[in-house]
Amino acid sequence: MSVAINGTNGITYNDGSLQASAPVGRNLIINGNMAIDQRNGGASVTPTSGDIYTIDRWEVSSNVSGKISIQQVTTSPVGFASSAKITSTSAYTIGASELVVYKQKIEGYNISDLAWGTANAKTITISFWVRSSLTGTFGGALNNNGSTRNYAFTYTISVADTWEQKTITIPGDTTGTWLTTNGIGLSILIGLGVGTAFSGTAGSWSASFYASATGATSVVGTSGATFYITGVQLEVNTTATPFEHLQYGQQLALCQRYYQRFVSDASYTAFATGLCTTTTQMICALKYTTTMRASPTLTQSNTGINIQSQIATASIGTSYLGKDSAFIPVNVSSGLTAGNAGLWNANNNAAAYVELNSEL
Amino acid sequence: MIKYKKLLNFDGTEADCIKLVKDNQEYIIPFSPDNTDYQEYLEWVAEGNTPEEAK
Repeated sequence: MSVAINGTNGITYNDGSLQASAPVGRNLIINGNMAIDQRNGGASVTPTSGDIYTIDRWEVSSNVSGKISIQQVTTSPVGFASSAKITSTSAYTIGASELVVYKQKIEGYNISDLAWGTANAKTITISFWVRSSLTGTFGGALNNNGSTRNYAFTYTISVADTWEQKTITIPGDTTGTWLTTNGIGLSILIGLGVGTAFSGTAGSWSASFYASATGATSVVGTSGATFYITGVQLEVNTTATPFEHLQYGQQLALCQRYYQRFVSDASYTAFATGLCTTTTQMICALKYTTTMRASPTLTQSNTGINIQSQIATASIGTSYLGKDSAFIPVNVSSGLTAGNAGLWNANNNAAAYVELNSEL
Repeated sequence: MIKYKKLLNFDGTEADCIKLVKDNQEYIIPFSPDNTDYQEYLEWVAEGNTPEEAK
């Protein structure tokens, strides 16, 4: 066995299995291998305009509607099991002030070690696997919260329909404000079609908002064009280390800080126990699977109350939503007895869910 | 169509959350400054809109 010793990377064995300077938790991207898809479970979606979360922690951010579809698929390079497949729905000429990007916002707490906005700002390296039916120069960008600090970058796809790994090293920003709270610390944007007003010269920091680099290929410009991405890693380093594969459960827990979906998977699965306070309301205590980034927004679908008979949920009442748990009144049309216990559950519907959202 | 509706506490006072109805789906949004749905609600109010009163 050969061993390479490098002042930057530390010790690397010939199978890449150990790198002394590549600590656990180095990848600031969550779900970079597109393994978790709580919302859509691998189904294709065509986002409207706005910031629409798709595969966990990833959103399609656009001000034009329906220009791409996105789906978690198994098509992936060696060593990965999934990727995000983006398909252009038409041949759309992006306007000067229009944009479509695939984006992840990184929480400020998780970028505190970058020391950005100070003289000690650290260099980062972004790496990812990409495959497209198109070839050419593509672009993306980094933004701070408020997009007052921006860095456009480019990468080249050389061969159509072939997985290629890309690496981009970016000097840390010594100015600007980079949040180290539970707000948006840093956003990474992968351009899919960005107008000239939001495109900038690659390779330098700017106060102007950039979502991509000037002249980058527009995926949405070709009907049926495909663009796959996976293995996204953003780390403090001057070179890329191998993708940090987490166990599925670890990564799911990281995603659940921002979005949790309690799913039924069976006809009458229970979400919480409760106490009936009237003939039409039961109050429930719901304990989350992990502490959330912020008090979440609550919604549900196809739930009910079971008191040995099943009653469909009519609505959710005034709820008290903390970061760890919630007090939730579930309303039905009739049939409860005050003082009795009950279950908040799937209303004979395996597709029922309770959703908590505290995304950035 | 987006519609916001105020909610009441058990004692009849206004609650620190609001109900959003969007695409026939109901959402309960807490009045938490870090919640992006609450931030959107504040922007909606700032544009001159008014939520429906609780009944």
